[in-house]
Amino acid sequence: MSGGWSSFLHWRAALRDPGLRLLAAAVLVAVAALSSVAFFADRVERALLLQGAALLAADLVAEQGEPIPQEWLEQAESLGLNRARGITFPSVIIANERPLLVQVKAVEVPYPLRGQLLVETPAGPADRPPGVGEAWLEGRLRDRLGATIGQTRVEIGELDLEAAGVLVDEPDRGGNLFQLAPRLMINFADAERSGLLGPASRVKYRLLLAGDPGQVQRMRSWLTARMSPDGGLVDVENARPELRTALERARRFLSLAALCSSLLAGVAILLATRRYVDRALDGAAVLRTLGMSGMAVLRWHLGQLLAVVSVATAIGSVAGLLGQQALVTLLGDWFGSVLPPPGPRPLLVGLLFGLSLALGFALPTLLRIGQVPPLRVLRREMEAPGVASWLIWLLAAAVFFGLMFWQVRDLRLAGGMALALLAALVVLMSAGWLLLRLLAPLRRAGGSAAMGLAALVRYPHLTLLQLSGFGLGITLLLLLTVVRVDIIDTWQGSLPETAPNHFLINLQPEERARFADLLQMRQVPNSGLHATTRARLIAIGARKVEPGSYANLRARRLAAREFNLGFSATMQGDNRIQQGRWWDRPDDAAVQQFSVEEGIAESLGVQLGDDLTFEVAGQTVTAPVTSLRSVAWDSFNVNFFVVGTPGMAADLPVTYLSSFFLDQDTEGVTLDVVREFPAVSVIDVRPLLRQVREIMERGALAVEMVFLFTLVAAGLVTVAAAQVSRDERAREVAVMRTLGASRRRLLGAVLAEFGLLGLLGGVLAALLASVSGYLIAVQLFDLPGRISPTTWWLGVVVGTLVVALVGWLATRRLLRVPPMQVFNSG
Amino acid sequence: MSDGRVLDILSAIDMQVNAGEVAAILGPSGSGKSTLLGLLAGLDQPTAGRVSLLDRDLSTMDEDARAALRAGRVGFVFQSFQLLPGMTALENVALPLQIGRKPGARSQAETLLREVGLGERLSHLPRQLSGGEQQRVALARAFAGDPEVLFADEPTGNLDAESGQRVIELLFRLRDRVGSTLLLVTHDQQLAARCDRVLRLEAGRLQGDS
Repeated sequence: MSGGWSSFLHWRAALRDPGLRLLAAAVLVAVAALSSVAFFADRVERALLLQGAALLAADLVAEQGEPIPQEWLEQAESLGLNRARGITFPSVIIANERPLLVQVKAVEVPYPLRGQLLVETPAGPADRPPGVGEAWLEGRLRDRLGATIGQTRVEIGELDLEAAGVLVDEPDRGGNLFQLAPRLMINFADAERSGLLGPASRVKYRLLLAGDPGQVQRMRSWLTARMSPDGGLVDVENARPELRTALERARRFLSLAALCSSLLAGVAILLATRRYVDRALDGAAVLRTLGMSGMAVLRWHLGQLLAVVSVATAIGSVAGLLGQQALVTLLGDWFGSVLPPPGPRPLLVGLLFGLSLALGFALPTLLRIGQVPPLRVLRREMEAPGVASWLIWLLAAAVFFGLMFWQVRDLRLAGGMALALLAALVVLMSAGWLLLRLLAPLRRAGGSAAMGLAALVRYPHLTLLQLSGFGLGITLLLLLTVVRVDIIDTWQGSLPETAPNHFLINLQPEERARFADLLQMRQVPNSGLHATTRARLIAIGARKVEPGSYANLRARRLAAREFNLGFSATMQGDNRIQQGRWWDRPDDAAVQQFSVEEGIAESLGVQLGDDLTFEVAGQTVTAPVTSLRSVAWDSFNVNFFVVGTPGMAADLPVTYLSSFFLDQDTEGVTLDVVREFPAVSVIDVRPLLRQVREIMERGALAVEMVFLFTLVAAGLVTVAAAQVSRDERAREVAVMRTLGASRRRLLGAVLAEFGLLGLLGGVLAALLASVSGYLIAVQLFDLPGRISPTTWWLGVVVGTLVVALVGWLATRRLLRVPPMQVFNSG
Repeated sequence: MSDGRVLDILSAIDMQVNAGEVAAILGPSGSGKSTLLGLLAGLDQPTAGRVSLLDRDLSTMDEDARAALRAGRVGFVFQSFQLLPGMTALENVALPLQIGRKPGARSQAETLLREVGLGERLSHLPRQLSGGEQQRVALARAFAGDPEVLFADEPTGNLDAESGQRVIELLFRLRDRVGSTLLLVTHDQQLAARCDRVLRLEAGRLQGDS
């Protein structure tokens, strides 16, 4: 047979096969849903990363104590990356005859590479770096110096600059909020001429890089081998813990939603496959009778399956591309300007997903087709000797989870999902089995409801399959409706309207009472005062800590710099103990212990029980680590990587820090604080807070959109589950009609049958959704778990009604077909 | 048809079968016998013409009303048995009685199955029975509830000679006991000869009535 003719035959035969049509529809919708989600999630994720990059002013920043070598610039150039150099250093400036310590930042065009600089100049707002001879002053610096923009001269080293503008917003406000002196921004060329960049000064040279992600990655690898020991690479993933946590959560939400859609799509394909394979076995027997060899029959069916699935997958992918474009249009205001174009990966995910899922589920059964006995033509009950069914499931499951993992690249998430799915199937199957046992006596009864329920017992395999399909469908739907809203609410609730938006540092011990009085008088909500000191980690156990001994750049950076060591009797509300326990006797001065944030512990290789030695103003302090904590950095509470028992602070030079919430009415408090406590710095974190809130909002909105696709997939599963028994049902309905059963009676029976399936599926789904929702909140998102009653009533009501409706609709259609036609179709 | 021509499967058929009569519709394959049977039993609707069953005009009734008319009053035997695969022999036979809401469905069904020689196979599923046995279950089902009319479509078409013979004997014996009107479709001359009346059908037209 020629290729073209054979394809034509495949097509013609395939289009006539209702089983294959359903399978093709399932693949099409599944691929469309999944690839839309994948496309959209991919683009949103990249947009979120870009937003994060805006806070870094670049995609990647290399930072070290020595000037940036020319070679680095050339490398960046050759990779086609945008680049800008920067220098930061502390220095004393003089203006209006007042000396003041500032944090100088020198930048060059085209800084910033990401995000926006905002400057107020006498000529109006500007977004450019200062020119040679100009300086941008932070608002509080201008206030402290009593400077007049456009007139005051600022002396710094050998330079005499004009205070030419007020720095309103700079995207990369330093890596650590708490060590900020007021900012003075000058031109890069001026910094080099200032005479302040001597070897002993605390200068940091920075190279900002941005561009194509692949090239940035290449640059990163290239730089890693060349960084000096005190240097480090910073990207959005490790720039800001607050942002990292928020981004990570947003990404997990999207992944989870995409996974739910994939799961549903997989179930739909599996259900559709069963019907296709059943019919294919009949056809195979006929072809065998006609003299076709087993292998030829197999090839024929494989060709047919491949042809149909390929086309369905291709159409599904295109539909997915269009679908995500619709999403983008819907969300134009939110993402429009920053949403990067779709990449090729999601297309590949969709294509492979559709193809391998349909083949993975259908192939093991289809392989039996070659061995179908021709006698099946006469005796339909003759089965083909086949591969064990557990092998089929194992193979299909392997394909499915392999793809799932590939898509979300999160072993914990995919693994958890696999386990959850397995547990759900066990629960559904066991409950189904129990149901069958309970209903067995109904086989003897005669009423229409009993007749319907007895139908469940007559086809136990179908009942279990349908219950699993309906149950899983409703579970995932509930997870994404009720539980999703709960988790997102909890997430957004973790950053309330009155979350601290200002931090205050460097308050002296003797100023504490006066400061507390001031806040109380002005009724400012605050987090209280937290003792802290600057400390440098010098040893873990007997091992000395040296930046050069860490291969990990983050660890290297952490080892090189001073920590804010905190002291506290109680643990912050957003912290959670992961290992060990919080101190029992915080008031006992003799108790000396540390609690370490788990992320930094992992980077530095700190284990529970290790002794940590810090150097604090010439003294050394050693104590064991008695707990490892997780910290919700996006809560904006005052948090420390390392916390010691309060007793340890007694002999150390501590200062205090606090965080508080200011609204429009109390904004003036900043000025009062600065005036009354000249040594403190007040840091306004509103821009950062805004950024985190935005990530939360957009993340939540994106999940809502993805949910639409899950709905489509869930609808498909329900239809596919009802269709599983369509052939048997058609015959049964025809025979019953012939024997005189009324329409009402048959519909009543179906309503009872599907209603019970839906009810049971709904109850089990509510149970499964509640448990998995709780685990998802606690395990995946580090949020408090809660169980919503809505899950229960929605599961039960929607489950029963929707499933009954689907069964009713399917049967109503069958009732319109004259019985004779059904008998003639074999 | 696809070329726009109209294909008449049956035409100019005017016939009547009286209560208690045993009639055969005889004709070669493709002559429209089974289609005619389906129309007479109300399993399908003619595009033109009128069919009455048990003094009721089927063409004025909807599918539901036709089903209600059949319930408990009309029995069927098909060439391909049409037993429900998920039901045991007993359940298949009890089904029309349950549909007709008759009491004692199971015990009546059991009696009937014993009568057709399947007393030992009550709880067997159709796939566990031979073709002859399946057709005997179908016979028992057809006569459950003592129908006034029985339609049989090539009842021996799928059976070997011996099984076929046994099924025919049973069919006539049960019919004689119940006194149903029997309308039988067959291409088997010998079988037709056992009926009171033979209607010959060729190419969709009645060619003779004897």
